[in-house]
Amino acid sequence: MSDFLFFLEVLIGGLLAGSLYALVALGFVLIYKASFVFNFAQSSFVFFAALSLCGFMELGLPMWAAVPVAISLMVVVGMATERLVLRPLVGQSEETLLMATIGLAFVVEGLAQAVWGVEVRTLDLGVGHHPIEWVMDRWGMLINKFDLVAAIVAWILVAVLALVFSRTKVGRGLRAVADDNSAALSIGIPLSHIWMLVWATAGVVALVAGMLWGARNGVQFALVDLALKALPVLIIGGFTSVPGVVVAGLLVGAFESVTEFYIGPLVGGGIDAWTPYALAVVFLMFRAEGLFGEKIIRRV
Amino acid sequence: MAGDLVDTFPELLRYHARKRGGRPAIREKRRGIWHTLTWRDLADEAEALATALSARGVQRGAHVALLGDNRPRLYTAMCAAHWLGAVVVPLYQDATAAELTLPLQRAEVTHVFAENQEQVDKLLAILPSCPALRCIVYDKDRGMRHYQQRELVSYASLLAEGRGLAESKSAVPVADAERVAGQDPAVVFFTSGTMGPAKGVVVAHASLIDRARVAAAIEGMTDADVTMAYLPPGWIGQNLCGYVQPMVVGSCVCCPESAETLLSDMREIGPTCFLATPRVLEALLTQVSIRLEDAGRFGQALYRRAIAVARRVGARILAGEPVSVIDRAAYAAYDRSIYGPLRNALGMRNVRVAYSAGDAIAPDLLMFFRSLGINLKPLYGSTETGFFVAMPRDRRVKPGTVGQVADGVELKFTPEREIMVRSPGMFMAYHRDAETTAGAMDADGWFRTGDIGYFDEEGHLHIVDRAACVGALTDGTPYAPRAIENKLKFVPYIKEAAAFGHRRGMVCALIDIDPAVVSRWADKRGITYMGHADLVSREEVYDLIAGCIAEVNGHLALDAALARCQIQRFSILHKELSADDGLLTHTGKLCRDVIADRYGELVEAMYEGHADAGKAGSPRTKIRNAQTVAPAADRGAA
Amino acid sequence: MTAPVQSPRRAFDIGAPILELESISLRFGGVQALTNISFNVLEHEVRAIIGPNGAGKSSMLNVINGVYVPQEGTIAFRGEQVKGMKPTRAARLGIARTFQNIALFRGMSVLDNIMAGRTLQSRAGFLEVALQLPRARREETANREAAEEIIEFLAIEHIRRTPVARLPYGLQKRVELGRALAANPKVLLLDEPMAGMNIEEKQDMCRFILDVNDHYGTTVVLIEHDMGVVMDLSDRVVVLDYGRKIGDGTPDEVRSNQDVINAYLGVAH
Repeated sequence: MSDFLFFLEVLIGGLLAGSLYALVALGFVLIYKASFVFNFAQSSFVFFAALSLCGFMELGLPMWAAVPVAISLMVVVGMATERLVLRPLVGQSEETLLMATIGLAFVVEGLAQAVWGVEVRTLDLGVGHHPIEWVMDRWGMLINKFDLVAAIVAWILVAVLALVFSRTKVGRGLRAVADDNSAALSIGIPLSHIWMLVWATAGVVALVAGMLWGARNGVQFALVDLALKALPVLIIGGFTSVPGVVVAGLLVGAFESVTEFYIGPLVGGGIDAWTPYALAVVFLMFRAEGLFGEKIIRRV
Repeated sequence: MAGDLVDTFPELLRYHARKRGGRPAIREKRRGIWHTLTWRDLADEAEALATALSARGVQRGAHVALLGDNRPRLYTAMCAAHWLGAVVVPLYQDATAAELTLPLQRAEVTHVFAENQEQVDKLLAILPSCPALRCIVYDKDRGMRHYQQRELVSYASLLAEGRGLAESKSAVPVADAERVAGQDPAVVFFTSGTMGPAKGVVVAHASLIDRARVAAAIEGMTDADVTMAYLPPGWIGQNLCGYVQPMVVGSCVCCPESAETLLSDMREIGPTCFLATPRVLEALLTQVSIRLEDAGRFGQALYRRAIAVARRVGARILAGEPVSVIDRAAYAAYDRSIYGPLRNALGMRNVRVAYSAGDAIAPDLLMFFRSLGINLKPLYGSTETGFFVAMPRDRRVKPGTVGQVADGVELKFTPEREIMVRSPGMFMAYHRDAETTAGAMDADGWFRTGDIGYFDEEGHLHIVDRAACVGALTDGTPYAPRAIENKLKFVPYIKEAAAFGHRRGMVCALIDIDPAVVSRWADKRGITYMGHADLVSREEVYDLIAGCIAEVNGHLALDAALARCQIQRFSILHKELSADDGLLTHTGKLCRDVIADRYGELVEAMYEGHADAGKAGSPRTKIRNAQTVAPAADRGAA
Repeated sequence: MTAPVQSPRRAFDIGAPILELESISLRFGGVQALTNISFNVLEHEVRAIIGPNGAGKSSMLNVINGVYVPQEGTIAFRGEQVKGMKPTRAARLGIARTFQNIALFRGMSVLDNIMAGRTLQSRAGFLEVALQLPRARREETANREAAEEIIEFLAIEHIRRTPVARLPYGLQKRVELGRALAANPKVLLLDEPMAGMNIEEKQDMCRFILDVNDHYGTTVVLIEHDMGVVMDLSDRVVVLDYGRKIGDGTPDEVRSNQDVINAYLGVAH
């Protein structure tokens, strides 16, 4: 197999993983845009959602029933978070809200493990974890079928959300709330509805990400760390930009994968745990507002 | 083809309604959407309107004025008036009430179509001094709810009136339309001109139609052509391009949503024919340079390289001259990356022919557009001479000239090189002013244009300047301000310039900066200022303009005829020149005499060499010496 | 020609009280912002609230649309008392407003800002919108038409697609007026609509306010500093000073009121 094809294989693998980063990051962006909260608990939601889905299946629910139940659960969790944690804190500083979500993260993680136990579970979504044969036959590249399907699912969800939030009345409401709360209220945009909607959506996004990742790597606590890979993606893409995090997700995935394969062996491997953060630091130094983040406009 | 023999507008309208009834005649963008009026719609509406107007006393030979922007209803009103054999008096929509009085009185206008409340208010204010005026038709009813004057009627109700009459009576005014003759007066254009009071230029149906046919033949226009109507309807150029030309070839005219949306509307429509004044073209060039300043450094560098290539080969490719393969390839590459997008941004993606008319265009400006692949041509003519007197043919455009004489036009020169014209497009007379008519046109139909010009060896017509402006410096150097001013106006920071030099020892200039460009320039440099007057008196702005003028002087030095006319001193005007102050005509021509008069003290101060024109207006007015360049000939001798 | 302050004929005759404020008192902690203020606003009139800096004008406006809840006093809309006025409630009653420091949705285009102003004019829920069901599509078209009418009314066609953050100040103010108008309000609250404008922008804005009142019959309540503007625009004026009402009447009456003159000339009480 040629070097180039090998590089391509590594790159594609990275891009597919990056799609999942983008999806998780999208959950953060939605909430940040609507209420300027960096929801630290988003990664815990991913873990909680995946674990709950496994739990429901262990209780004997078939997949087709467990998924809607899990979706409903995450909608409820999202809305409850907004209602019980964020609403009482309206008007507090961003730092306070961040601390609240950090606290929430511990609660959610603890709750999940208390209810469903701590053992690692496997989740079978019915898609094989083997390389796609015709790609292997023709070019000799190993592209994991599951990764491809997961990426496609992630892309569909991202596309649907992006369309809804950019082209419709609901999206306009969200962006209006993001830009100016009091103005949004004055034209009758129900702030609380928008917030609940956003948190519920974030919960569903977390479930999809949790399912895909859980099925790939096993449903375990490490999902939380994996989901925190969204942090460098957010820094690179900008906290308020949907297209930004999509591109940044791909970038981080590709960068992580390529550096792991080409530089990793030279330093003993395992560098993909920190390379995304290193990339984010570089971005912070040169383009603090992120790829497509809003430039701070100075008016004279 | 029967249409070719028709020489009145009502007959042309009915012909197109029969021949291409379903094709678009007028498009208008309203509330974000393009609405189309087909030829059949247009003829129907004009007929109904004519019925109502006839019932309200409009008859053959009556004068109907139009006061408003280019809207479909202005054009249907024109069609309806012509249908009845009435004479249309298109007025400038930004004229003041006082300026409107003269044409309304002179032409004894009885009916006026006014666009909106603003125009109606002006008319009501002068109603007492216009006894003939008895009906004002307004289009837009905003703010008109509590107007009670009995002269007022809304366009919509007039139209309903006409439709009602057409149903009840059998006498639909088809007979009126058939009675109109080609030699009947069709339009009275009141031209303010750059000097003297407005004169009513009466033009017949057949004359306008003849000129439009000649132009259509030269440019191969068809009913698939599309033009934009955005210049003042009171100007003959807009009338020919927006009304007569479509009537002759059955093409479509498009009304932009507003003056500010012109460019984006043009991008949507993609007109194939485009008429502009040099002022409009300068504004477009300014837009390009503003956009460019927003582009990154790479983009700017790329643009500069592209423009350099365009300058070198673009016009030659358009002229069909041989160009090396490498240049051709470079041009093609830049065409994809720069010129094409730029043409698109200017709304000229589909333009086959663009005319610059109304004033002389600077050769640099002309070549800028031509080098981008836009077939822009200068047009020579005036209201009296039927507009199309001379224009270059495709592939034979020579900058600095206005090309060859149009078909049907005869041209000769007086001993003083003043151009005399005879043409089928010639006006009939100045409205009720036999004396002035006789002074301008002799018994054989030769008209004194007041322009100095000559033919070169290739048969291209050169226009030097207005006869009244041409003169000499005290040392005898021949002096014509237009060439100098045009060079100055090509500088993006300069919007207008008035040069002085006749019977003077040197050339001095008053500069009117382009506030949009200069304020951006100042913002970028962190220069703070309070308003226009403060900005223009800043030392930095004077430095900027001085630099530009030094560059212009460098160009002037290369031209043997102009080398001794370099600008020695200049001052920047505190207030923008505008038509409201009478310093520009409504089509944007400089009224040099009025400016010289208004800023007399400042001009004298420049010649006396005051560094500070204390008594001339504001104490902050400054006068600067400009850097000049030794003429090439002198340097050679040294 | 000078236009008369009150044209003898107006498109909509001034009607019954649409807003009645009764004994309003508002405190922030220990600070008394408004004390026992009562006045009414008649349907179709232009009502101005004036007063020196810190007189409580903005607080008054914020009470009307429910941003602040007064400790005492009542607000009635069309004769019915509104308990616990909230901004969304006010919006639903048909009270729209603009802000002193422009509060536009800066990241959105002019058109989207005005469309956002139509929020209460649409009924379609989230799922209908997300799935683009017929009702959501119909509403979107109707809202677009309404927004375009306002764009034409305010002559801002050329900036329809421009993000508002890029517009000059005067135009932003105009867009904000447009967003408020998009809700077809009965009452329009304008918080210093002409602050920081140059003379031409002020004239334009005056024209638009009068046109809104004349064309749509909208009742206008406005706060303004520029006395000349207030006198030209308004039918009646309320004067506040240190959170108290010191004058109420036509511009001419207010102008000749000794308390008002003292307040404006800074005479000690």
